[in-house]
Amino acid sequence: MAEPIVQTRAARFSAAGRATFDLTLRLGGLAVAIVLVGLVFQSLNDAFLNTDVIISILRSMSSVAIMGLGLTLVIVIGEIDLSVGAMYGLAANSLAVIWILGGVPIYAAIPLVLLIAVCVGLFNGFLTTTLRIPSFIVTLGSYNLLYGLSLYVTHASTFNPNYPPEGFTVDDGQLAFFVNLTKQFGAHQFSVEVFWMLALTLVVGFLLHRSLFGFRLIAIGGNPVAAQLARLPVRRYKIVAFVLSAVIAAIAGILDFSFIQTSQPDLGLSQTFPVFAAVIIGGASLAGGKGTAIGTLGGALLLAELQIGLALLSPGPHAQQIFLGAVTIGAVALDLSLTRLRARRAG
Amino acid sequence: MRAVAIAIRALRKNYGNTRALDGLDLDLIPGEVLGIAGPNGAGKSTLMRILAGEERQDTGELRAGGTVFSRAEAARLVAVVHQEPQLFPNLTVAENLLVGREGGNVMRPASPASDRALMEALGLGPYAARPLADCTLAVQQRTEIARALARDAKVFLFDEPNSALTDEESDELFREIHKLADAGNIVILVTHRLGDLVEHTARVVVVRDGRIAAELQGEALTEEAIARMLVLEEHRHEAARGAREGRAETALVRAHGWTHRGGAFADVSLTVARGEILALMGVEGSGARELLRSLAGVDPAQGEIAVAEATGRAAIALTAYVPATRQLSLYTNLSVGDNLLVRLARPDIADGMGTLRPARMRTLAADFSRRFLVKTRTLTQGIRSLSGGNQQKVAIAQALAARPRLLLLEEPTRGVDIGARREIYRLLEAYAGEGNGVVMYCTEVPEMFEAADRVIVVSDGRLSAPLAVADHPHVEALATEVTRLERHGRAS
Repeated sequence: MAEPIVQTRAARFSAAGRATFDLTLRLGGLAVAIVLVGLVFQSLNDAFLNTDVIISILRSMSSVAIMGLGLTLVIVIGEIDLSVGAMYGLAANSLAVIWILGGVPIYAAIPLVLLIAVCVGLFNGFLTTTLRIPSFIVTLGSYNLLYGLSLYVTHASTFNPNYPPEGFTVDDGQLAFFVNLTKQFGAHQFSVEVFWMLALTLVVGFLLHRSLFGFRLIAIGGNPVAAQLARLPVRRYKIVAFVLSAVIAAIAGILDFSFIQTSQPDLGLSQTFPVFAAVIIGGASLAGGKGTAIGTLGGALLLAELQIGLALLSPGPHAQQIFLGAVTIGAVALDLSLTRLRARRAG
Repeated sequence: MRAVAIAIRALRKNYGNTRALDGLDLDLIPGEVLGIAGPNGAGKSTLMRILAGEERQDTGELRAGGTVFSRAEAARLVAVVHQEPQLFPNLTVAENLLVGREGGNVMRPASPASDRALMEALGLGPYAARPLADCTLAVQQRTEIARALARDAKVFLFDEPNSALTDEESDELFREIHKLADAGNIVILVTHRLGDLVEHTARVVVVRDGRIAAELQGEALTEEAIARMLVLEEHRHEAARGAREGRAETALVRAHGWTHRGGAFADVSLTVARGEILALMGVEGSGARELLRSLAGVDPAQGEIAVAEATGRAAIALTAYVPATRQLSLYTNLSVGDNLLVRLARPDIADGMGTLRPARMRTLAADFSRRFLVKTRTLTQGIRSLSGGNQQKVAIAQALAARPRLLLLEEPTRGVDIGARREIYRLLEAYAGEGNGVVMYCTEVPEMFEAADRVIVVSDGRLSAPLAVADHPHVEALATEVTRLERHGRAS
């Protein structure tokens, strides 16, 4: 006879009943790291923990966090998207060209840019699933392709909607709409972009942890062959993940363009690896089947905290890079040792 | 050089709150084939892992010839032949034998003559240059055996080594096993096949609850004696079969002109009645496995097919498939509960918007785990925390959760202990009894005898006339008939 099913306390953490203990441990660890790093910076520089710095950390983390959310979906299903940074750049640059040069109203230009992102996602997804080219190769290719497109459409020049090139005009109302997408308000210049980030975290978090889509995404990432044999829609889900990743990266690009107000052809390329670092620090596994929205958000927060904290201490640009590397490896090493520790205890 | 006897004393090992070994004592004697039997979760695997130096005991000791048998020595002297081969699929068979023994030469190593002789002896000669990934499971397993033999090991642990081998291949393996013992090695055979234990070992120990529950040798060593030690309750199996006699004789599944695109079989006709459990028997390459997989839509095939009222693709959609290995059906990143539910969709586990229904998921998972006799402490623990037999029940429950009309299984109880095996058969009978069909690909006659209503022998892509299991008074009679049909099929 089957023994009675005992619902333990751990069961109540997650509605879907996933192995939640590891997750709690992981997110708890991340929270502790964020607080500790903050305290260390505060002890080195007592100007660190003030409202202005915290707000600037939240703002500067938002584009990495948003791109990371999209990337998390792709990584959970067991694929890789190296093109998120380039997609972010292409979104800003193509928006500049369509809107400022093309004269298309901003209200139509933004949906057009998102449509471009859908096409990029379909391209990545189709090549990965139907032609079975590894996504690492596909998106390494599309990273360069998209950067090339950005150079092509902008003729390698920069744009600022406040100062359109000679012979072009930008409608004041549209400019105000665009700038207000990431409007800063209050005494501390709090940016609306942070709300976009939080809203997208909720959306991706819901998708990943509370929807059938996420349940299957995690299953497919955990064992793609079994999912195929069980007739789960593996191919469709992978394509959708790539599309969402590209669209979310495009949203980040549009928002950052609105905030910085200057587009450059190489925009976003240098963000590629910080985005991966945020997702990995957030507990996602490159092997697939594992990752959370809140973790990715925490990963991006830790990175932004380090970046701004180090910038305030100004030991030089090398320090940020060295810390980015150390934290990425350190987070995964810690994760693995905790998992092993738990495995030894639980058997 | 002969191996020295190894004495295992008061071995204890805990995993968290679970006691895997509870003061186990055992003597390993060179020149003898020792059999180890025990239900899954009894501590067999833990014992093997400690012996092979893969894990450290909490307390207790292993002594060889008066000195402590260290983990370093274990790693050097003990060779393990696993149930699921642990090899290098990207290398050829010959290269697989070489890995780890390449020598210090800078040049790419070549197979020594002794390796080639060994491969010939195990019938691996024709496959020497073939990448392992392209070889059948049987060949892969023989490669692992060859690897163990090629190492200069003194202790050989065979963990379900012949579970996927044909009878001839099995016989060949046991000849090698006896040769190893005769040469003065310590040889241990862990298997669920009681017949093999009786026939090929001098002594059998039964492990239960982390210790040796019984030691059988000489006259006392019989299948019945081992079986008695393995299961507490006697299952009245015949009764279950009798209850299903009154099943409807209407066809549930009909296939005509069913032809494999890869050429494994052509123009096959097959009928499965409502309530029937049909066994397909055949060696690797006979087409039996491919036939089963084609009904699941996994292997491409064409022809007419009907399941219940549906035909073609819609018919295939009414089937569910459970692959031979659990690695192909379970999700190690999901909990036991989620593994049970993973094939479900709207409206079972999500609402119309695609939002999961957590309360319903918990109820369903609890329901499935009760109904399919899954022994688990919680539904939220990882799937790997379950014993092999219970993992297999989860794999079957997962396929049945979506209410298919035809269940297709490959070797449904491979590597599963007797207790769990009988429970799995009962689950299949209950499911068939509801007017559904079951087709399983089997390699063991006792399995067919115990679980199936009819047996079809497949050889060279041709199907024999079905044998009714009920016409055979005992398992030997069925085995004789199956062997005859197989030989006949291959001769024609």
